[in-house]
Amino acid sequence: MFTGTTQYLEVYLPSPTTVSFTVTTRRPRRPTATSTSTPTSKSRFKHRLRFFKSHILTLTVLRHVVRLVLVFYALLLNVAKAQHHRHHHHHQQDTTELNCAFDKYAQLALQLSLGGGLVKTLAERTEWWILVPLSLAVIYLCLRRDYVEESLLVLQGLGIQTSTSSRYFFMGATTTFIPTTQIQDIVIHEAFQGLAVRFYLAVIVEGATEVVVVFPVRQDAFVPRGSIDHIMSTI
Amino acid sequence: MPYNIAMVSDFFFPQPGGVESHIYQLSTKLIDRGHKVVVITHAYEGRTGVRYLTNGLKVYHVPFLVIYREATMPTLFSFFPIFRNIVIRERIQIVHGHGSLSSFCHEAILHARTMGLRTVFTDHSLFGFADAGSILTNKLLKFTLSDVDHVICVSHTCKENTVLRASLDPVMVSVIPNAVVAENFQPESYLPQAQDMGYMRPRPMPHRLGPDDTIVIVVISRLFYNKGTDLLIAAIPRILATHPNVRFIIAGSGPKAIDLEQMIERQMLQDKVELLGPVRHEEVRDVMVRGHIYLHPSLTEAFGTVIVEAASCGLYVVCTRVGGIPEVLPAHMTTFAKPEEDDLVLATGKAIAALRSGRVRTERFHDQVKMMYSWTDIAQRTERVYDGITGAISEQEFYGQYPSASWNATRSRSYVLIDRLKRYYGCGIWAGKLFCLCVILDYLIFLFLEVWAPRASIDIARDWPRKPFINDKNKPVENGMLSRRGTDLMDRRNGSLVIR
Repeated sequence: MFTGTTQYLEVYLPSPTTVSFTVTTRRPRRPTATSTSTPTSKSRFKHRLRFFKSHILTLTVLRHVVRLVLVFYALLLNVAKAQHHRHHHHHQQDTTELNCAFDKYAQLALQLSLGGGLVKTLAERTEWWILVPLSLAVIYLCLRRDYVEESLLVLQGLGIQTSTSSRYFFMGATTTFIPTTQIQDIVIHEAFQGLAVRFYLAVIVEGATEVVVVFPVRQDAFVPRGSIDHIMSTI
Repeated sequence: MPYNIAMVSDFFFPQPGGVESHIYQLSTKLIDRGHKVVVITHAYEGRTGVRYLTNGLKVYHVPFLVIYREATMPTLFSFFPIFRNIVIRERIQIVHGHGSLSSFCHEAILHARTMGLRTVFTDHSLFGFADAGSILTNKLLKFTLSDVDHVICVSHTCKENTVLRASLDPVMVSVIPNAVVAENFQPESYLPQAQDMGYMRPRPMPHRLGPDDTIVIVVISRLFYNKGTDLLIAAIPRILATHPNVRFIIAGSGPKAIDLEQMIERQMLQDKVELLGPVRHEEVRDVMVRGHIYLHPSLTEAFGTVIVEAASCGLYVVCTRVGGIPEVLPAHMTTFAKPEEDDLVLATGKAIAALRSGRVRTERFHDQVKMMYSWTDIAQRTERVYDGITGAISEQEFYGQYPSASWNATRSRSYVLIDRLKRYYGCGIWAGKLFCLCVILDYLIFLFLEVWAPRASIDIARDWPRKPFINDKNKPVENGMLSRRGTDLMDRRNGSLVIR
């Protein structure tokens, strides 16, 4: 895929001297923001948009809760399996304090959580070689972020800060701050990427051997079509 | 009408050479006339990506595999996606390929026709018909040129050769020679012509050579078989034996350098023959002005820019009568020889005698060459070709009228696939079918790319501020783009003077 997925640009002005540009592959949260997506015919979707606006927080929280619950159950299954395994193969052979504590906690967790019995029977029935890869896959899918969000924060007189979202949920973004005194120039240039020529925005930093490419993470994370002029004019 | 032109060739700077400088000079002059030109070539070591040269000439160094003598691997289709992307983002209308050994150029012409663009091909070299390599190259050439809009050759000999090799309609082939930048090839004691002097300009005094003065013969060429190095090796001892006051300066490198060195050692001519090794193109003038005669023993040559450069430096030229060489310079600047040892020695002797007797006015050569060859003129003539193929000037005016000719069919090539296939099918019993297959495949790839990477998703590149377009009466016309070149910001950035 050398055209990349659809990207959206959001411009946010928190104060008169600050501009924040965000490029994301996720659908925009604020439908009114400047985006390169095709503008939808507003009258038709108006009530829908309002619905989204009012429920956006609830939806996000719900999604995260579902993620956490799934991860929890995946772990719980493994714990139940481990307990079951120990009961069957080592009949009170090692009764160290640690093992006892583990047993106790596992028992407690299974009793307290919803559907503990079901988990227990499921764990007893399935084999190790099915359970472990499956649960790993579930955990990975739950924690992986399915979009990339990159932002450029321009603070007048101070510098610019680029930030890239991490690849997993519940982890912080990578940020780089470049003070104005170190910025030699900001350029837009073209480069070959895959089977296409793309524009990119780069910051030439004093003393550095390489330029800082502003929206750098993935192939499709280059600045969306047409928006680079917009950014440049604002800077 | 200003055009957007893409020059495609495997050969471009930083590699030195005739084709390379031709592309550069032509592009620069076309930009001066208000067109937009981009160059597409492959990536050289340490030179990749997109670059700008002076005058806003944009160069795409496409990363590609290089196989032999800086030519890329002929892959037929793998270049298509990138090429299409560049063509769309630069809004190219005319694709101009250079050099028959460049697979980039051939592929670009094929793809450009598939995409519905006008194409021009410039041939810079002569080829034989007999050996295996030539047959293969000729077949490839025939493939590409079956569906090209127009062909440009650098000399009439080259035109004949290309017409035969690719079975072309001779009317479709124009002859536009190379040129030299005369300012870079001035004789040592040259007074640049001032505007106000006019006829009162002091003429350079004819410099008479006495019978015992030393005459220096310069040879600058790559030392390859086809450049006639063997002929040179055989002729040097004989020339030196008959003319004691003659010295040689030889510049260039190549596989025949060893033979040359061996000859010098065997004949003990170290004090009379100076070998300089490879010289850079900008140093060529400094070597040339040290001599009086330029000897060019080439066995095949499509144009021979170097003899024009030599004449421009005020050297008398002795050359072999091969290829396009006889067309290049007027008779009073040259002595011709057959490409054989005896005749070359004889011709050199004649040239030396002519110089000693003061019959040749070498000090006038520079001004004469300057009148004959200029890149501005070449660009103007190339522009006329573009006008002809895009239909800006009528077919009759462009191709001329041949009322009695039976082949006077329409010459503008349609893009319809079936018409293109018809043209390819006539290439040969097997080759024709193979070519048709390739073209159909190319078309399918094109359709696939239109879906896979839609035109709407490709960014349009910003143009370098254009210069005013120069019309056919050589008057600058407003380009309709910008009344002023560049913006204040650009002026400040590159430190140029702001003229209001």
